[in-house]
Amino acid sequence: MHEPIVEVHELTKLFPTTEGGDKRAVDGVSFTVSPGQIYGLLGPNGAGKTTTLRMLSGLLTPTSGYAKLSGFDVRLQREQAKRCLGYLTASTGLYQRLTPRELLRYFGELIDMDRAGIGRRIAELIEWLDMGTFADLRCGGLSTGQKQRTNIARALMGDPPILVMDEPTLGLDVLTNRVVLDFIRAEGARGKAIILSTHYLDEAEAMCDQYGLIHDGKLVGIGDLATLQAQSGKRRLSEIFLKLCGQSEHVLSGVPEARAEGAA
Amino acid sequence: MNRYRRVGTVYRKELVETLRDRRTLMAMVVVPIVLYPVLMVVLVEALKSEAGRQEKEQYFVCVPDAAHKDWLEGVFKREAAAREEEERAAKTAAEKVGRQADDASAAFRTRLGAEQITIQVVPEEHLWDQVSQNKYHAAVLLDPPPDPSDFADGRNRVVQILYNDTNPLSDVMYRQLNLVLGNEMERIIRARVRGVSGNEDLLTPLVASNVSTTSPDRQFAKALAMIVPFLLVTMTVTGAMYPAIDLTAGERERGTLETLAVSPVPVGQIVAGKFGVIVTIAMATTALNLASMTAVIHFSGMDKLFTASKPDAASVELGTEALIVTKGAEDGTGLSGLQRENLDRRRQIEAQAAKSVGFIASAAPIVLVSMIPFAVFFSAVMLAVCSFARTFKEAQNYMMPVMMAAIVPSMIVSYMPTIKLEGALLVIPVANVVVLMRELFLGNYTVSAISLCLGSTCFYAAAAVVVANKVYGNESVLFSDVGSYKTLLLRRFMRPQRLPSAALALLTVALLFPFYFYAQSGLMRPNAPDHNLVVIVLSQVLLFAVPVIFLTWYTKTDLAETFSIKVPSIWHALGALLLAVSITPVAFLLQRLQFQIFPASETIRVLQEQQAALFGEAPWWVLVLVFAVTPGICEEVLFRGFLLGGLRERMGVLKTVVTVGLVFGLFHYQLEKIPVVSFMGMVLTLVCLRSGCIFLSVIVHIANNGLAVASERFKAIEVFYDLPKDAAELGAMHFDLRTGMFLLVFVAGLILFVPKRLMPARNEPAKS
Repeated sequence: MHEPIVEVHELTKLFPTTEGGDKRAVDGVSFTVSPGQIYGLLGPNGAGKTTTLRMLSGLLTPTSGYAKLSGFDVRLQREQAKRCLGYLTASTGLYQRLTPRELLRYFGELIDMDRAGIGRRIAELIEWLDMGTFADLRCGGLSTGQKQRTNIARALMGDPPILVMDEPTLGLDVLTNRVVLDFIRAEGARGKAIILSTHYLDEAEAMCDQYGLIHDGKLVGIGDLATLQAQSGKRRLSEIFLKLCGQSEHVLSGVPEARAEGAA
Repeated sequence: MNRYRRVGTVYRKELVETLRDRRTLMAMVVVPIVLYPVLMVVLVEALKSEAGRQEKEQYFVCVPDAAHKDWLEGVFKREAAAREEEERAAKTAAEKVGRQADDASAAFRTRLGAEQITIQVVPEEHLWDQVSQNKYHAAVLLDPPPDPSDFADGRNRVVQILYNDTNPLSDVMYRQLNLVLGNEMERIIRARVRGVSGNEDLLTPLVASNVSTTSPDRQFAKALAMIVPFLLVTMTVTGAMYPAIDLTAGERERGTLETLAVSPVPVGQIVAGKFGVIVTIAMATTALNLASMTAVIHFSGMDKLFTASKPDAASVELGTEALIVTKGAEDGTGLSGLQRENLDRRRQIEAQAAKSVGFIASAAPIVLVSMIPFAVFFSAVMLAVCSFARTFKEAQNYMMPVMMAAIVPSMIVSYMPTIKLEGALLVIPVANVVVLMRELFLGNYTVSAISLCLGSTCFYAAAAVVVANKVYGNESVLFSDVGSYKTLLLRRFMRPQRLPSAALALLTVALLFPFYFYAQSGLMRPNAPDHNLVVIVLSQVLLFAVPVIFLTWYTKTDLAETFSIKVPSIWHALGALLLAVSITPVAFLLQRLQFQIFPASETIRVLQEQQAALFGEAPWWVLVLVFAVTPGICEEVLFRGFLLGGLRERMGVLKTVVTVGLVFGLFHYQLEKIPVVSFMGMVLTLVCLRSGCIFLSVIVHIANNGLAVASERFKAIEVFYDLPKDAAELGAMHFDLRTGMFLLVFVAGLILFVPKRLMPARNEPAKS
């Protein structure tokens, strides 16, 4: 097994609430991911998946704990850490008045790629993701599927070793869904460390090597499918999840005061 | 360097995207290039046609009886005849002096023709109603009534004109009647004088020949100076508004901000790029507006219209000259050599003005340059304010007060033509730039006024950029589900912290600056020493000490850390002592040195005299309390406490010391004082920063001010320190053994504070 490339240690995030006091959105979450692994961070809406991934990506500052990407501490060596990271969610927008090609060029320049390298990489991604027909149209006029492909290309622009995907298939049609899942598998096979958060448990079961089941900000189950099956005595991931949470009636319907996961 | 390249990348991309936005293009290009000239042309045409209409309109005047009617008609006839005669005379005279004759006729065109005026009789008791109900434009009533013998009866009469202010035509008629009746009176007087003495020249002991030394386009500039700054401010703000909203709240609303935040680019570089785009668009809007305005004024002939609507200086002069020439030929009076020269000079100025591109075109570049600090400042403010907003709509709501803050002061200033660029106005944001622009138009300004004006504006702009940077990167603003901006502003959401943020420290100091400036200049009263001393103490305590101590408490910041409350090491205490005894003569030495290189202006002597007048003969201990102890504590609390606390762990020693020192110097806004005071500020900052003890810098500060103040009252101190007695002595260089000794002590003290390695600061810089 490779050395872990993603290292999350006791990440905790407290949010001040308007009533005063704090809400523990994420509470002492730890896990590691190695190159080539697809790690599934699973849980219902409001469980703390997005907050964990945002801390992992340097978008939020953890209240305590740390995350390291390729050995760089996300909080202290923010730029080096972010350089190793491709980040994708279902909700990330595109610049409406740029074309996918201009957009990719922009992000290429932001990560300090040279001009020739950018051109080469864009050509590669356009061919691979079959974006030829819309690469020079303004993003504002693209379909959802085309937008998500552009987003994937954007996340892959610098060919980062780590990919963080927060509900990447939320709200996609069957066809685009398929494109996204295929791409995740292919990138995993190419040796990337992938962290995938989703509340579609069946989808996850078909993709991931390792799981972290998160509920109310805490990890309630960690390991591969066999470990989790042994731990819970259940076979399907959804059953395991219910069992481990011990709160069968609330879990999958979502916590009442759930924050809108993935809504940005 | 990578940093600049990335800022450039962000800038280019945002500019491209902004220029593809229809709303920005509307505000930036369409408004000035299409709508604006159309508006101007419509306005000019409306004015022209209004003027034409007044000339073509029929006017009705009512009188109580036929005698009035006959008399008034006679007056208008005599007036018309007199004008014709005058015009003919002017033409003849103009030919005599060899000038174009049609110039001369212009002066006689402004009067209404007799054929436009109808005089009708109405019953006496209805005169008032007829005019007030706008059925007649005016009524004329004589008492005693006119005599058929046309005033030859030698009686004096009262003439009453009834008119209606709110009806413009009535107003025109009133002015016309006033003029015509005035001329009629002159004719009657002439006739009476002729009857008595046979020579009416008795009536013109003085013939006025008025010559304006300003070129007509300068006069036009005066009118433009009232309106143009206001228009430009409005247009600049409008131009900057859409990009400011779009690049911040717009980006957040569309969900692209998260993508940008996850890229390995520091927030500061992103904000810098965006800020550059907003400034660019604001300035482009300003430039386009100015260019379009210049073109419209130039080609629409508005300036000509304007000069024509003034009492036509040139032509009137020509008329007078013609009369004088005609008369001169008759009785020997005429223009002297110098008077004639002046008239010729005036004519040359007019000829030049007619040929030149026009004042507006030549002033435009200067005005554009003076708009840059304003554009920078407002772009920064808008960026900061919009950064708080999550949606386009929210940002638009926030923009309203910002727009008002820009437009209202410029409007007020536009309506105060006598207000001068001096005193507190120099540092009042927005108002100072508007007045500066007006002064640039008129050509009245001083270098120190401009530099203070632009300098303070840049200072505010910097503070606004820092805030924008801070707000933009804040996670509770980045993600709507993390909490609202309330968490940024309300005390109960704040987490205890060791030191204030650099943004808060700089912003606080920037906001205090205009208030302090106002207290120091605006609230002082001559010959009221007690009042002035109280103002000084109160402004120090209420503006310097109280706000920052409150802020420190409010933001749950550690008081002891922020204000460096600590027991110093013995070496640092010794160093402070050495500095305390030697700093005053060294300060004077530096001041003398400065005056050797840049001689003191007369203002410094005047200021000293004013100072003496403001504070009178208070007892020495009061002066020491007011000018040494109070500032020694309050200024240290603000600069070496709060400001230094905000900066010291975010910059190296050198940068911190220079920054705090310069800001301290800027607060002592007299240009001549700034260099030495900045140096003193740097020394004090170094003392506090290195010892970690604010008491040491307080002691050095009090010692410096106290010795300078006390030396004015105690000869012994002045002699011991060999301080200059007056401004003249301060202007002369003087260096002897004693001064050298003090300098040595000073350097020795300073060495105790100089760090082993100049970088980095006392504490490891915090990574954030």
